[in-house]
Amino acid sequence: MSAIEPTILSLLGAFPFDRVYVESIIYVSLYVSLTAIVLSTLASIPIALGVGFTDFPGKGFVIAVINTGMGFPSVVVGLLVLFLVSNQGPLGPLELVFTKEAMIMSQFVLAFPVITGVTLAAVTSVEDGVRDAAYAMGGTRLDVALVTIKEARYGIATGILAGLGRAISEVGSVLIVGGNIASADGTAITRTLTTAIQLEARQGRFDTALILGAILVTIVLSINAIVLRLGGGRI
Amino acid sequence: MMSQRATLHRQPDSQEGISIAGVTHGFGNGAVLEDVSLSVNRGETLAVIGPSGTGKTTLLRLLSLFERPDEGTVAIDDDDVWERSERDRLAVRRQLGMVFQSPNLFDGSVRANVSYGLRIRRDWGDRVSAWLSILLGDETEPQVERALDQVGLAEHADRDAGSLSGGEAQRVAFARALAYDPDFLFLDEPTSDLDPRNTAVIEDAIDAAREDGLGVVIATHDMHQAERIADRVAVLLNGEVIELGPAQRVFEDPRDRRAQKFIDGELVY
Repeated sequence: MSAIEPTILSLLGAFPFDRVYVESIIYVSLYVSLTAIVLSTLASIPIALGVGFTDFPGKGFVIAVINTGMGFPSVVVGLLVLFLVSNQGPLGPLELVFTKEAMIMSQFVLAFPVITGVTLAAVTSVEDGVRDAAYAMGGTRLDVALVTIKEARYGIATGILAGLGRAISEVGSVLIVGGNIASADGTAITRTLTTAIQLEARQGRFDTALILGAILVTIVLSINAIVLRLGGGRI
Repeated sequence: MMSQRATLHRQPDSQEGISIAGVTHGFGNGAVLEDVSLSVNRGETLAVIGPSGTGKTTLLRLLSLFERPDEGTVAIDDDDVWERSERDRLAVRRQLGMVFQSPNLFDGSVRANVSYGLRIRRDWGDRVSAWLSILLGDETEPQVERALDQVGLAEHADRDAGSLSGGEAQRVAFARALAYDPDFLFLDEPTSDLDPRNTAVIEDAIDAAREDGLGVVIATHDMHQAERIADRVAVLLNGEVIELGPAQRVFEDPRDRRAQKFIDGELVY
């Protein structure tokens, strides 16, 4: 019981560490995850539309790969991205090891199949008749695609949120490619909320880990609430 | 610009229109349509009647350029549409309107649905402005008001499309196809799920559209409706046009024995 008391006290307001340190961790987490999600979304939606509404050989295989990717182990993704950006890898000259950009790459790979898979399900559930109506009124392929996106927007938003959840709560790959680095002055460079929680817990600072965890949950809840609000409660 | 285009195409003495000639079309399990030829002029209503599954919807989809026929031609004013470039074909498609058996309305307001055809004809800057106007609720496009008025829903422009009854939704779908002032209107059993009152509203709107110079093709299995609204009637059976002529002549004195049986209600599918 005595070990819990300080934790409760901390949660009640006695912040146990430097505010600048925490803010920098939050910044790194949001910067990496939101950038990865924006890029994943930009790539996922056209691919989901293309896969959903085009017949081509191997379409079933592509869908199976996307679905498999939704549950792909994050540490394996981290290893693959590390291979890509390491000195011997194809992206070695870019010197991306232990940078935010490498973390964005790994989170992109993690979020992409989630957003694509959910978006694919959302756009293919839009009734053919709605797309036919857009076409019949003189819509171009782009017009029909935009109508489809609009009709499927709640499903797509759900996919983006699921991708964000997977990205921002992930530890393994960002630890491998980012290195969980903080500078000498105590600001995070590649340290995210998840990797910081892992570090604090491993060093026995459970109160700190819990507060960081609470911040992470609050951020995810806040983003969900904002999207829910924008969606008029339909997500 | 739109009305100018429409005026150019709607010379009162013009006998030109949309036609299909020698069209055979199928979907892998044999031909749905077999060597079908017919046409409709501007200012005329053609009813295509026949039992369910006889190819009426396929015929309308070919006329509205959803699909290229396996054989034969689709022409507007004697110009084979499928020989044109995709860009030219888009311009042709924008002279056409179609109403389906289901309303297929978009998520959003009645006004947003009815103005869709107008918005996609604008450049992107104007589209964004129109979209913002809808969001701000200050859009007053006369074509939208007129089209809604034609189906008796002028007071319902700001309602959510999801809140409409089935009949109201189908009337909005009709207004949506009228709003951008097409030259030809294709109606695929537009009243089959409607009550008599909504059916009467749609039929009045069809008459008004024809009087306004549109060429109308309506697929229906309601022979009384065809008799009420059509200038000419085509009887489609097993993918073939077995009877084609003035409505009165077809219903009173059909030349084809199978058409006679269908009209007499003896040919049931």
